[in-house]
Amino acid sequence: MDFQRAYEILLIGAVIILSLIIFVCFIRAVIGPRIADRIVAINMIGTLTIMMIAILALLLGEGYLVDVSIIYAMISFLAVVVLTKIYLGVYREIKSKEAEKQQKEGEL
Amino acid sequence: MEWIRFLLAAFFILIGVAAALIAAFGMFRFKFVLNRMHAAAVCDTCAILFVMIGLIIISGFNFTSLKFLLILFFLWIASPVSSHLISNMAVATNEHIEEECLVVPPKSEER
Repeated sequence: MDFQRAYEILLIGAVIILSLIIFVCFIRAVIGPRIADRIVAINMIGTLTIMMIAILALLLGEGYLVDVSIIYAMISFLAVVVLTKIYLGVYREIKSKEAEKQQKEGEL
Repeated sequence: MEWIRFLLAAFFILIGVAAALIAAFGMFRFKFVLNRMHAAAVCDTCAILFVMIGLIIISGFNFTSLKFLLILFFLWIASPVSSHLISNMAVATNEHIEEECLVVPPKSEER
């Protein structure tokens, strides 16, 4: 029995279905009414990409592509941390400025 | 022997892809952010677990399998932290949080 062909069909099928799921998550990232929706969608796209790179590393027979997926995992984690902290800081700054403005208008 | 390996690997990879499909379905089904985040994070973790186990079975007793395990452990540690930070931000910047979920004030405020 020729298992090489069977493995290829299985792995290529998995990669195709995962790429369709990534496309569906992109729609959620564009539609999502709040910012947290978009960050959740991007996080999930990152995890699906890690799975796809790992599967491709076995398909092409190149062992070093797995290192790329490890680094991608770290970068996507870092991106989520930075995005949430920045947005929280910006939101609090806007709120404090509005509170100051209302205080000044209240005094006048 | 080859049959067993192929069938086991196919079983695990297909279950992993099915879990990812359930995650994508859940993201469109729920109405609020916190529910969607829960569906995405939990099903995503399960999907990557099964896919990595399938890939380890295909690859055999190798250094590449160790790298797959390393990816898995790093994602298991990093993904809950990401979910916690996202939900923190989603609750702190939402003024109408009472519509979405039950808000219980901390006990120190009641005294």
